[in-house]
Amino acid sequence: MAEKESRQSRRDFLQVFTRGAPLGLALFGAAAVFVRNVLAYLFPERKVKKYHRYLVAREGEIPLGQAKRLIIGGKPVFVVHLEDGYKVFSGICTHLGCIVRWEKEKERFYCPCHKGVFNKRGEVVSGPPPEPLVPFRVERESGLVFMYVEEKIKGPWS
Amino acid sequence: MKLKDWILERFPIDFQKFVEINERIFIKEPIPLHMKKWFYCMGATPLILFGFQLVTGILLTFYFVPSPEMAYESVRHITEDVRFGFWIRGIHRWGSNLMIIALLLHMTRVFFTRAYQKPREINWMIGVALFMLTLTFAFTGYSLTYNQLSYWATTVGTNMIREVPLVGEWLFLFLRGGEDVSANTLTRFYTIHIGFLPPILILLIALHILILRIQGVSEPEGYPKGHYSFYPHHFYKIIIATLFLLTLLTTLSVIYPPGLGEPANPAVTPPHIKPEWYFFPVYRFLKLVPLRVGIFSVALFLVGMTFWPFIEPWIAREKRRRIVLGYVVGSLVLISTLALTFWETVEM
Repeated sequence: MAEKESRQSRRDFLQVFTRGAPLGLALFGAAAVFVRNVLAYLFPERKVKKYHRYLVAREGEIPLGQAKRLIIGGKPVFVVHLEDGYKVFSGICTHLGCIVRWEKEKERFYCPCHKGVFNKRGEVVSGPPPEPLVPFRVERESGLVFMYVEEKIKGPWS
Repeated sequence: MKLKDWILERFPIDFQKFVEINERIFIKEPIPLHMKKWFYCMGATPLILFGFQLVTGILLTFYFVPSPEMAYESVRHITEDVRFGFWIRGIHRWGSNLMIIALLLHMTRVFFTRAYQKPREINWMIGVALFMLTLTFAFTGYSLTYNQLSYWATTVGTNMIREVPLVGEWLFLFLRGGEDVSANTLTRFYTIHIGFLPPILILLIALHILILRIQGVSEPEGYPKGHYSFYPHHFYKIIIATLFLLTLLTTLSVIYPPGLGEPANPAVTPPHIKPEWYFFPVYRFLKLVPLRVGIFSVALFLVGMTFWPFIEPWIAREKRRRIVLGYVVGSLVLISTLALTFWETVEM
């Protein structure tokens, strides 16, 4: 008897729910939009990286196999003229962050702190540096050499 | 039904009984006939709004930083940069205002239908506590935005607390975390707003509803006797109210997005400072009388309101006189509150 009653009430429950379908649909829709918006709120928008283009050299200015030192945003970079074009490296040693210097005669970078040596392509030749010098993207356009530096705006939210 | 069996093996309860209890308590909760009228069934409105406040409040903590340097900036970031940030903050801001309006309406209705009478005195008192906690919520939340108005509202508000007899000085130092409104004040208000008040309010709401359920909804005179079950009629009403409120809050947030104001400047008090509208009656009243008298009167009023269900039969023994007393006192409070609010609104 008790079972029968409970079954009856379950059918009632469902029937009432079909009658309340528009309301249920509205509630479901609202909940779906709400959740979608909340997810958008919680996951910050991915920022597309922005780059600044700097003119770093004129072609012919640097002899083949030689480098030019520049300061970009307070940090030294080297523009190197190679057989296959121009390259730009960060002047910060990948070992412990000292500033490397360009040795003209030996055509190499030398870090005075721990005797790290990089060749003109930025690759480690000897010493403790674990990685090659950090390269920047370079572009040549009508006799000019440009480098691209990622724009890093310092703010509490980036 | 495999899942049901799996769960029942691990939680061996009498399922049939569980269904029955659930039906008796929720689905077939007897609702008196007069509650088919919208006017009488809006007690759930503050609860629904509180639900929105909880959700949006938790979401706001993902970005808000409670420090003097970062509070204003992080509120700006939420409002202007974060996707849907203005919406989340808008719901929270408008939700707090609507929650206070809903409580005022609920209390007015309860008072004038005399639903606080014996044996429901305790629930009236819990209701008053809930109202005061909500105002504390609003005050602490408002000060977190750290703009000029909220900063000076915090300064003035905490200074007023200092005038409270006996505990004032102690409470003042406790809230400010020192002599001045500082980083300590902000973190304290934040902790109170998100840590202390929510569990207390949830507990009291649960108690409020529990007592209501045990006693049953009070029935005003002059309505046909009888009951209908909670599900589906009343259940649908609550869903309709929820959807309506979400739509209303969203609309308000889009039309009147939450503002930022000027960043707080402890060196300059703005020429026109006013609290939020719900403090207008108290604010106006305090301008009329000496501060000590004002604080004392407000405290006396709150005590009177809290214990009104006991005070009323104590003053008027006879039932007819009691009803007249209730209406007269209620009307006087309502009229003077509205008048003070109006006065403060029109005067710059």
